[in-house]
Amino acid sequence: MLAKLIKHETKATSRIFMPLYGALLILTVFTKLVMATFAPDFFSEAAVNNPVAEVILGVSFTLYFILIVGICVMTLGIIIQRFYKNLFTDEGYLMFSLPVKTWELVLSKLLVGLLWSAVCTVMIFLTFVIFSLGIVSMMEITQAIQSGYDEIFIKTGLNLNLFMVELIVFFIFETISSILMIYVAIAIGQLFSQHRIVAAFGAYIVITIALQILLSIIMAVSTIGNLENLILNSSNALTTIHWLINGTTVFNVVLCIGFYFVTQYIMKNRLNLE
Amino acid sequence: MTILSTKNLTKIYGKKTALSQINMVVPRGRIIGLLGPNGSGKSTFIKLAAGLLVPSSGELLIDGQPPGVLTKSKISYLSERSYLSDWMRVREIIAFFEDFYADFNRIKAENMLKDLDINPDDRLKTMSKGTKEKVQLILVMSRQAELYLLDEPIGGVDPAARDYILNTIITNYKEEASVIISTHLIADIEQILDDILFINQGELVLTSSVDEIRETHNKSVDGLFREVFKC
Amino acid sequence: MKWIIDSDRPIYKQLVEQIEMRIISGAYAPGDKLESVREMAMDAGVNPNTMQKALAELERMELVFAQRTSGRFITEDLKVIEEAKKNLAVQEIGAFLEKMKKLGMSRNEILVLMEMVAEGEKEDDHIKH
Repeated sequence: MLAKLIKHETKATSRIFMPLYGALLILTVFTKLVMATFAPDFFSEAAVNNPVAEVILGVSFTLYFILIVGICVMTLGIIIQRFYKNLFTDEGYLMFSLPVKTWELVLSKLLVGLLWSAVCTVMIFLTFVIFSLGIVSMMEITQAIQSGYDEIFIKTGLNLNLFMVELIVFFIFETISSILMIYVAIAIGQLFSQHRIVAAFGAYIVITIALQILLSIIMAVSTIGNLENLILNSSNALTTIHWLINGTTVFNVVLCIGFYFVTQYIMKNRLNLE
Repeated sequence: MTILSTKNLTKIYGKKTALSQINMVVPRGRIIGLLGPNGSGKSTFIKLAAGLLVPSSGELLIDGQPPGVLTKSKISYLSERSYLSDWMRVREIIAFFEDFYADFNRIKAENMLKDLDINPDDRLKTMSKGTKEKVQLILVMSRQAELYLLDEPIGGVDPAARDYILNTIITNYKEEASVIISTHLIADIEQILDDILFINQGELVLTSSVDEIRETHNKSVDGLFREVFKC
Repeated sequence: MKWIIDSDRPIYKQLVEQIEMRIISGAYAPGDKLESVREMAMDAGVNPNTMQKALAELERMELVFAQRTSGRFITEDLKVIEEAKKNLAVQEIGAFLEKMKKLGMSRNEILVLMEMVAEGEKEDDHIKH
């Protein structure tokens, strides 16, 4: 049943995202072509002196950034809208009468939300690659990264590969907990008989503030102990950042579990569709 | 095993008691009318049976079990609301139902759509409210369920379609299945009902068979209802 | 087939009466096979359970009999049908006489008027043909 829900959810969201990403790619390629035609020496000194090229480039890049921001906002918006509309408005009457478990409903939406967040990131990266084609060769970049790795390893004994993995894990859980925080806020909003959307916003703000306070306390407590190390020893500073990232990941995992169970509990026991 | 039974079923929302101490039993193979004025608790009862609400106290059993995944697979629920996604085409929704319900009969659904001149390639958002309701009903009645819960199935529908719908109901349920129809339009469906349950202000005020009422009171259920609930 | 169903009497009783009429009038011939309960119910626009009840009653009245696997059939016993016809006629006559009594008609008056009306109908029939 979970697979079916995921399939359906992907289908429902694809029809919005596919055209969107299609448009992004087209615009990126178009911008790239404009760049290549009017300002082939983008990174060279000559470009700076050519006003026409500057204007065209300026406009293209402005559009590009708007689109990037737009897509990120849209991804977030769709995640929110799907959860709310499909489960807590009229469509909810169908979804909750399906022979599926409540946690499957939450998980299917979460996984697809995660998928599109990942796609968003990949797409942005892809556009960078397209822009840098011909200007900076792949070889150069790979070499630069490799030498960067080696340097850091020599200086601090830290394996950057592991660090990269930890960073990715961090981002994944950061995304999951963000999504679940939205879900739990919507679910809490459902506990009210009126003004449910306002209540959901309220819940979100309250949770954000509570988390900020909590995080600040934790940071303060752990930093005071390590302040000396931070200032005196740069290699230890890197280790501290290392621990910071992993610590936040663990914190996020705990939040994820908490948010997931609260959301699921409310949906199972306090559901009251209007 | 009766298909649905409740014991002291109660549902309270904050200060409002929607249902109070409902005790009833629905045998298999019957068409039951759940009748009552608007706001009497009919919808609440149906939602509890469909698993969309959790009882505040008391018990509700479907085929001997409390509402859950298994009972939902045995129940075909028609909501009063339009609960289908507007952007979907009819044939996509048929595929959806087929996916989630093992007892869904695609051929039956397609035949009924043809009978009512509904094009499977149309998107729901292009349809009138009445047509959307018909699509929903066709989907619900194309399932070989043990219990059908129909919340106001003929509410916004024209008389010709109404006859078709009533006909669909009586010809589509299998012998051991039961149908519960919640409505305030009694006169129109009385003819197909076996038994009726009168609910008023959250309480079950009368349980009877239609024949009993006609023989005892010499009037139709609709007539009796108007008398009992006279303002 | 047209079914006329009132709302203030039990439906199954009305179905029994109308099926009985059809048997007596020959619309259903002796020995005819009846359609399935579902089909008949759909035709009449009633609940299959109700039609089932009506057919069970007709079986009790011996106007209809069921053969285990082949379905339901109208009886071939013409005596039973005659009996039912007579009973129905007696009922109608009884009700008719009651009404006439209320109007204050005497036996003779009733008979004379009946002849008149019957003649009138015969003439109408002649004219039609």
